[in-house]
Amino acid sequence: MSNDKPSVDRRKFLTAAAVSGAAAVSAPTGVGSAQAQGVAGFTKPPSAADMEAEIGQPVRIAATMKEEGGRPGSDFMVDVLRAMDIDYVATNPASSCRGLHESINNYAMNKKPELLTAMHEEIATAMAHGYAKVSGKPMGLLFHGTVGIQHAVMAFYNAWCDRAPMLVMSGNHGDAAHRAPGIPTTHAAQDPLAIARDFTKWDDQPGSLQASAESLMRACKIAMTPPYGPVCVSLDAHLQEGVANPSDKLRIPKFTRSAPPQGDSGAVKEAAQMLAAAQNPVIVVDRAARTHAFQGMLVQLAELLGAAVVDQLGRQNFPSRHPLNVTPRARGVIATADVIIGLELNDFWGIVNSYADVAEARQDKRAKADVRLVSINSRDLNLKANYQEFQRFQDVDVAIAADSEATMPALIEAVRAAMNGDMRAAAERRIASHAAATQKQSERFLNVDATYAWDASPISTARLSAELWNVIKDLDWALVSRDVRLSNWPHRIWNFDKPYQYIGDSGGAGQGYGMGAAIGAALAHREHGRFVVNLQGDGDLMYGPGAIWSAVHHKIPLLTVMHNNRAYHQEIMHVQRVGNWRDRGVDRAHIGTTIDNPHVDFATLAKSMGMEGIGPISDPKDLGAAFRRAVQIVKAGEPVLVDVVSQPR
Amino acid sequence: MKTIFTLAFSASLVALTQSSALAADATRGKQVYNKVGCYQCHGYEGQGANTGPRLAPEPMAVEGLSAFLRNAASTTMPPYSEKVLSDADVADIHAYLSTIKKPPAGKSIPLLNNP
Ligand code: HEC
Repeated sequence: MSNDKPSVDRRKFLTAAAVSGAAAVSAPTGVGSAQAQGVAGFTKPPSAADMEAEIGQPVRIAATMKEEGGRPGSDFMVDVLRAMDIDYVATNPASSCRGLHESINNYAMNKKPELLTAMHEEIATAMAHGYAKVSGKPMGLLFHGTVGIQHAVMAFYNAWCDRAPMLVMSGNHGDAAHRAPGIPTTHAAQDPLAIARDFTKWDDQPGSLQASAESLMRACKIAMTPPYGPVCVSLDAHLQEGVANPSDKLRIPKFTRSAPPQGDSGAVKEAAQMLAAAQNPVIVVDRAARTHAFQGMLVQLAELLGAAVVDQLGRQNFPSRHPLNVTPRARGVIATADVIIGLELNDFWGIVNSYADVAEARQDKRAKADVRLVSINSRDLNLKANYQEFQRFQDVDVAIAADSEATMPALIEAVRAAMNGDMRAAAERRIASHAAATQKQSERFLNVDATYAWDASPISTARLSAELWNVIKDLDWALVSRDVRLSNWPHRIWNFDKPYQYIGDSGGAGQGYGMGAAIGAALAHREHGRFVVNLQGDGDLMYGPGAIWSAVHHKIPLLTVMHNNRAYHQEIMHVQRVGNWRDRGVDRAHIGTTIDNPHVDFATLAKSMGMEGIGPISDPKDLGAAFRRAVQIVKAGEPVLVDVVSQPR
Repeated sequence: MKTIFTLAFSASLVALTQSSALAADATRGKQVYNKVGCYQCHGYEGQGANTGPRLAPEPMAVEGLSAFLRNAASTTMPPYSEKVLSDADVADIHAYLSTIKKPPAGKSIPLLNNP
């Protein structure tokens, strides 16, 4: 900070202006460094009397000159982050964040929090997204206020849809009269987080250091109260680069997480009685497992009721090989259900109704007309108006606006209390019948379905999944991506039974999530020594290939397997459909949708950023050896990419 | 659905069977299969995926295939009319699907007998 007098006086004025400003008015800017360099264009600071006349009220002069024991404002922010137990801050560096960035480097000495360098704000956000789902904690993100947030917002939307907590911090130069001209002004905004407000849980723009501590704490608390989600705080550069003096008596509030909302006991009892009396109870589950405790509780509930479980695969909710896991034959099970309980469903309507994407779209009931529905969903506590990720409205018989995991113990108890001997006997019979069907199904997957196109090139998704399973099954593994684009082969044949083995997908289906999220997830797995697998789409990686660099730079062990179908394959099928419906051409769907001519050489792409790259592999006979080599590399602590030229789905 | 297929069969299949039974060309059929997008939802070898059911080995009879393609609008598959996919094309696709061999039994593939 400059010590010359005019600068200090101007600072006093700026602080006063902030104190008197309305909430939406941005905080003043610190221009100390620009002044110290003698940037032209600043007028002499106004006197206190001038200021009073200007703003029409008495001016409170805050102490900003460095006192004995005074220190950078952003050092204080670091202390706040530490108080909230933030281990990592991912950033793409920017001038409006330089104060806090420097404090992490030189005050925190890059430990707690440690900076992660990302090549794009969208990648950084995906990293935080994946990290949160494995660690159960928010990562900090440090972004430039305007263009940085603009880069990041699509990834915020993914996190919002997927209920992933993260703490976004952005810089800004709010005060028009005192910020530097040129880029700092181009990159300043009056309401910098407005662009993210529709799909973040909360945001703030604190006007003082004390307020910034309270704001960060509040933000973190909101992010970590179910439904989790992203939160943003704009930390004006003048706060970061200003001084925290002893006379400011700054205080870091205590960080206490809110206990998650539990379902109303009357409603839980009603739901339990309905389930206990059902002939064909079904549990449908989506983003329900917040912690490792959930899966065990869901197993208990399902076994108590003899209920079939349909897993929407938003999280590791239920063991893939459990006899009551009927996910692959969900349609039939839903069609015969008399009571369905939905736990943290993103789309209950889509469970009990069907929608056919045909020329004249058809909607139909999938469940029985008299099926009774129970919903436990924390999303009901936090909906916003604009974006429609909350899906179609589904009326239910018992609606419990609460967190499913927190409600589970009470629900299990209530079900136990509601079940008599006959009900328990019926539940046992259901378990036996579901178990037999599940066994038959899994035999069919292995003995029949997986064998088709076994030796094909491009390599079948079943073969890819079986080869991969062969090399990881004896390791302490975790999958950090979704497998729906591989026709769910991993979920059909791998044994997902540990609560950390799966984390779902992007949530918002915004491309560019895969690699970044995998890296963040792998970072969180690293301290547990787990072997992490990322099934990576080719189109998705091309949104942000720079993520590869971050994995190498931060030494994050991770096996990335390219499911390289050389296309935005979903979109080919869409264009194909429309061409067929219009009956005017069925052979041009590849235009604008395929990623060939030239093919992307992903192994070389990886190598260009220091990651070992293997492939492209198109002969299935070469796959086993490639995977075995890759496993050795990951075991040595490095990331590696294996490019597999694959069947579309 | 069954009724529709039967009707379609009687309407157009006489010509189809006459022209194709002799001339069906599996090599060309493979090209057409890929060119008109069958591979997208059913896989390059008709093995099936979560986007479309298995078609091969042992495909349905050519008459059934044709009937299905022409009337797929009543299913979740986009239809292929004669205008965009000729009867000869369908016959060739069928010939291609017929060349696809039965896979080895799962029991004989060690990787599919992993715990
Ligand atoms: C956009 C995706 C898509 C494309 C492209 C597509 N299909 Fe299909 N196909 C499907 C779906 C989905 C079904 C299941 C329809 C249903 O039962 O509702 C299906 C069903 C079929 C069936 C019936 C299978 C059975 O055993 O019942 C046949 C035969 C078939 N398709 C052949 C073809 C051929 C040949 C082509 C190319 C000319 C083709 N399909 C292109 C998606 C597609």
